[in-house]
Amino acid sequence: MDSSDINGYPVKPLNMHQLNHKGDLPGDFAFWIFIFAEMIAFGVLFVAYAFARAKNVELFNASQLTLSRTSGAINTLVLITSSYFVVRGVAAIKSGLNKQCAHWLTGAFLFGGIFVCIKMVEFNAKYTADITMSTNNFYMFYLSLTFFHFMHVLMGLVILGFIINKARRGGYSAQNYVGVETGASFWHMVDFLWIILFPLVYIIR
Amino acid sequence: MDNAKPQSNLFSTVIWLVLVALTIMTFCLGEAGMTGKGVMLTLLAITMIKSQLVANYFMGLRNTKLLWRAIMLVYFFIVGGLIALAYTIALM
Repeated sequence: MDSSDINGYPVKPLNMHQLNHKGDLPGDFAFWIFIFAEMIAFGVLFVAYAFARAKNVELFNASQLTLSRTSGAINTLVLITSSYFVVRGVAAIKSGLNKQCAHWLTGAFLFGGIFVCIKMVEFNAKYTADITMSTNNFYMFYLSLTFFHFMHVLMGLVILGFIINKARRGGYSAQNYVGVETGASFWHMVDFLWIILFPLVYIIR
Repeated sequence: MDNAKPQSNLFSTVIWLVLVALTIMTFCLGEAGMTGKGVMLTLLAITMIKSQLVANYFMGLRNTKLLWRAIMLVYFFIVGGLIALAYTIALM
């Protein structure tokens, strides 16, 4: 019997692309479980922030005014643009263009780096002003939410780095791009969460 | 629609520009120092539109089963709804 036959019926070799059926989530389904779990964790923190604020509106409003809305807005634009580059990277690999995919993802990676730099400047400003998680409830939420998100950005950058490296070596194709879609989905989640975090913590009063 | 079919680059660019415009609008509302229930609901509505644009057109969920899109929408309605409730309580 031919290795590609089962009971006399020809069997087409399975590739990663074929694992992603019509209507399924893009990328690896197991990773989506992780994405949903992360979204729930952030969702609980967002709601906890809102109800903690309701108990002490004056304190939260006064503390919120010490944040740099400009930094928050620039970081939102940076992440949105980075996410857009990832979309273009995924589109490129779906057309089998490994190098173009790597270029777009490198752009996304660099913008992710800009986000990290701006956030570190913001964290440093709070550190030098002797503001810590124990200063008050607002800063406890602000620092924990933004640091938790910051860690996800760093994780996303590591994932993007691996994908860029593999794409540069021609490791993906128009038939095999589940890895790119999986990393892209994680990066978009990071963007999705910041889109909620920014107005909640920096803007809405 | 097949998930493997890429959306047009022009369409992705338009979505990106809409997201940029909505972010600038959010920032301007914050800079204007506007407060109150109407402003809070407007900001949450802008946030919902932005999050759903990212979920549907950047994550690519518009090409998936209704269940996955519904999860993202319900997530926002629960989280956003509870945030709106907390802010409404604070205003009372």
